[in-house]
Amino acid sequence: MSMPSSDENKELYSNNTASHQSNSHSTGASRTGRWSTQRIAIYAMFVALTILVSFFSFPIFQMAPFLTYDPSGIVVLVAGFAFGPAAAVIVSVLGFLPHIFSDPFGAMISIVVALALSVPSAYIYQKIRTRKGALLGISVGAVAALIVAIGCNIIITPFYAHLSMQAVLHMIVPILLPFNVIKFTIHGVVTFLIYKPVSNLVNRSH
Amino acid sequence: MTVTVSTSKDTETKKSKQILSADTKENQQYVARLKHISFSYDGGKSWALQDLSLSIRSGEHLCILGANGSGKSTLGHILDGSTAPDLGRVELLGKVVCDSSKDEEHRVDPEAYRSARHNIGLVFQNPEDQIVTTVVRDDVAFGPENLGEPRPQIAQAVKDSLQQVDMLSQADHDPTRMSGGQQQRLAVAGNLAMHPTMIILDEPGAMLDSAGQRDMLDIMARLTLAGTSVIHITHRLEQARSADRVIVLDHGRIIAQGTPHAVLDGHQLPGLGMINTDISVSQQQLPASLANSEKSLQSELLQARGGQNTPTDMLGHVISLKDVAYQFPDSQDHALNHISLSIDAGETVAILGRNGSGKSTLCRVIAALLTPTNGSVSVTGIPIAIPNSKTPKKTRRRNLHLLRQRVGYVMQYPEHQLFADTVFLDVSYGPRNMGLTPEQVNHRVNEALELLGISDVANRSPFNLSGGQKRLVAIAGVLACKPQLLILDEVTASLDPQTSERIINMLEELHSQGVTIIMNTHADQEALRLADTAVLLDQGELSAQGPVEEVLKHYHSLLNSAAHRNTSPDSQSFPDQPLAQEALEDAPSQVTKNHSQRNSSAPLLLQELDPRAKMVTFVLAMVTAFCISKPLQLCLGLLVTAALFAAARFPIRRILTSTRIFLILIVLTSLLNLFITRTGNVLVDVGPLLLTDDGLWIAILYSCRFLIIILLGALLVETTTPTQITDALESLIKPLQCFGIHTNEIALVMSLALRFIPTLSQETHAIIEAQAARGGSIETGSLVQRLRAAVAIAVPVFASALRHADNLSMALDARCYEGGRNRSHYRLLSFNRQDYIFIGLMVLYVLSLIVLSVY
Repeated sequence: MSMPSSDENKELYSNNTASHQSNSHSTGASRTGRWSTQRIAIYAMFVALTILVSFFSFPIFQMAPFLTYDPSGIVVLVAGFAFGPAAAVIVSVLGFLPHIFSDPFGAMISIVVALALSVPSAYIYQKIRTRKGALLGISVGAVAALIVAIGCNIIITPFYAHLSMQAVLHMIVPILLPFNVIKFTIHGVVTFLIYKPVSNLVNRSH
Repeated sequence: MTVTVSTSKDTETKKSKQILSADTKENQQYVARLKHISFSYDGGKSWALQDLSLSIRSGEHLCILGANGSGKSTLGHILDGSTAPDLGRVELLGKVVCDSSKDEEHRVDPEAYRSARHNIGLVFQNPEDQIVTTVVRDDVAFGPENLGEPRPQIAQAVKDSLQQVDMLSQADHDPTRMSGGQQQRLAVAGNLAMHPTMIILDEPGAMLDSAGQRDMLDIMARLTLAGTSVIHITHRLEQARSADRVIVLDHGRIIAQGTPHAVLDGHQLPGLGMINTDISVSQQQLPASLANSEKSLQSELLQARGGQNTPTDMLGHVISLKDVAYQFPDSQDHALNHISLSIDAGETVAILGRNGSGKSTLCRVIAALLTPTNGSVSVTGIPIAIPNSKTPKKTRRRNLHLLRQRVGYVMQYPEHQLFADTVFLDVSYGPRNMGLTPEQVNHRVNEALELLGISDVANRSPFNLSGGQKRLVAIAGVLACKPQLLILDEVTASLDPQTSERIINMLEELHSQGVTIIMNTHADQEALRLADTAVLLDQGELSAQGPVEEVLKHYHSLLNSAAHRNTSPDSQSFPDQPLAQEALEDAPSQVTKNHSQRNSSAPLLLQELDPRAKMVTFVLAMVTAFCISKPLQLCLGLLVTAALFAAARFPIRRILTSTRIFLILIVLTSLLNLFITRTGNVLVDVGPLLLTDDGLWIAILYSCRFLIIILLGALLVETTTPTQITDALESLIKPLQCFGIHTNEIALVMSLALRFIPTLSQETHAIIEAQAARGGSIETGSLVQRLRAAVAIAVPVFASALRHADNLSMALDARCYEGGRNRSHYRLLSFNRQDYIFIGLMVLYVLSLIVLSVY
């Protein structure tokens, strides 16, 4: 978890032009904290949303009904696009932390995969703020997440099922790869369709 | 004033208070003085407030009246110190905080603003968004904690302020499960705990039912009596009656002021009709029955005309419900029970009832968004629920598809479902899902926009419109599907009078076209003007049915008795939200009883442990469960788990039911393990089935491992409150501060996130339902259709999260959250002997596992 840079701060505030918090009307009083109350509130809502939708899980790949899809990846991607890599880190970590009480290893994997997905994409989109940049960011994030997800699966599956590492390696091509490709494709396509309307909302209200 | 513990921050606050009190001696009579202030949102192109001057005396109860867009909320923000005007001089609590005659750098004085805000309270419309935790007393303590007050003082402030709003007996309850009215009282208490000199209430009753609104007026009267200055901002004329002084705003200027009597009586005030007068209309004031009978005669004629178009059942009813009951999955009470109802084609029916009486649930059952747990439902001739019979999935899907084309559903706050880039695209979502041709879609959309008078905004983004226009666009999105039956859930809730009037006119027009209308409402006038008949729901049952006036009389007597209950200390009103239905069964008094029973019996070891000790050792035990591989280890693991359950005296059955999805998964994976293991001695060998003793052991081992993990995790969550978990998290991650990580803030983010999950969950489900009612579905259709449905759900869900974030940040500001560094803590975590013993035992357990794995 890294401390948000001051650049991040600027970016969040630069979105503030429309609201009553804009510079000419600012009372300066709410800036005393290290994070603005707005930043805290936004992080909290995105974390809540990640936790919430991570429970909306369903199988998408008939070969492996035990692997389920949930839309939480979309939330972390959008958080990173709208509020930068620091938000992506916070939302990825806190959003999957509660799962530690039901599935400790699963929670850790989810955190690592979410970080791999959202941080590179948020970083790229921060540098290239165009549709192409978004597409590039999503693609790089998806590939990174795909590699990390399969790597983690290889390590963790033997804990869950009585399978040797060898047996898990044999599952990569027929099961793990297609499942994760489908999963990150859905994440990517939906994010690509909604990031613009959502960023407009962010710019409008903050 | 005695200073017991004083941190540097603490003395600072004290000092500023002393300065303040010295200052206020000079300007004793004023809490706020505004001189010639002007405010513009667009850099001077238009002015939200123009050259406005206003002085508010100490202890005064001032009501600021104005229509939407009159500038009253902007004025509120200037008075609460959250925003500074472009021009003019602002003096708050005796201090000049802003003066445009000074040079730009010194125009605003942030320090003066900050200290003034510590003594100004703010309560705004959304009750839910002002709650920061899941325990009443913690929520009240949040403000004093932010001011860095010492613990004993916080405890006293919590007690005093809860007493002032009659909620002391509910100090340990979960505010997220309370009614809106109670939540607003809690918001007031949260402000009172910071000892404000002045409280600003911005439309505090806008989202409450009549009883909740009365509650707010009552609280305001009490605050005035206690000497606090009260500023009440509203667009409802009748709520201004109890104020000392009323000012009326229009286009950013004060156009009238004086006593309520002088201002309100006999004057026509711009944009402030007397439409939403559900409180002031008493039974005697109900219009003469003559007008009403004339109206029903008219509607009978219309019925004859329009009724033929709408498909009905054999008896000619558009809707017929027989002995319908509905129970939410997580509740033991019926949200609806014994509902039998028939509605004829072309009829307009008002559903009345308090919040939480089951009105919304009834609407959702009729719209086929909920399947009743009992009884039969038939809507527009389509059977959507038949008792004791299972309709094949295909038939059911076809029926639903047909129903969606005939029935329109406008959910509560329908503007929350908006998603598209333009108004036109948003409204066309429903018709496109119906598979109409592009020309037909265009025609439908234009017709709907015209009916609501919003054709001029067709190409604008729905998110850029005013609140009222957004509502109209969302309604147009439903009307574009040309429903024969229209269901509306509180369609004019918290709207300004003009937009309400426009909606009422539109409904009259639809009624004359023969559309059957079912509407939930709190507003008497709306029911009287529109409905042919009314039904009254009380606690999920039909308590009256018939002519609107008769039913209204019943409704008012119900409200009066509820208001009586509310003024008694152990009041309990009924929450509106389905998720909150459970709260009905855990009446607060019972919870308190359980609590005291628990306390009187032998101590519950697990519940009294320090949450940090519990969390760390439990997670350790859960992780090490994966290393269990020998029978002895497994026995030890199961034994320790059982011992922990015994120590908590927690019924294991409750956890088994709450984790049943995981348990099913365990069974499935263990079956997999059972049959893929080919080593060991063969026990059974029938055809392809091969069972070995190794396989059996592996199946048992893996399922028991997971059982231990799931049971321990669930036990931890069940015996630890969310507040304890986040407190423990804050304390555990504190060492990370060395790396520059803002641990206090992160803990607050986590705790706010946990508190808002139920709220967001409810809204997400409402959005999914509303889009489903417009024919959007992720589960069926082509890939493009499914993606479109996903977007139509995802965008409003994010919009809702951002909306809550906006309000929440306002609430955090109102409670003076200024970063985690200087906060004090109401609850203290401390390790004592039993925590050390517990940690010792758990470490011993883990060590034994390791020892056993070696030998």
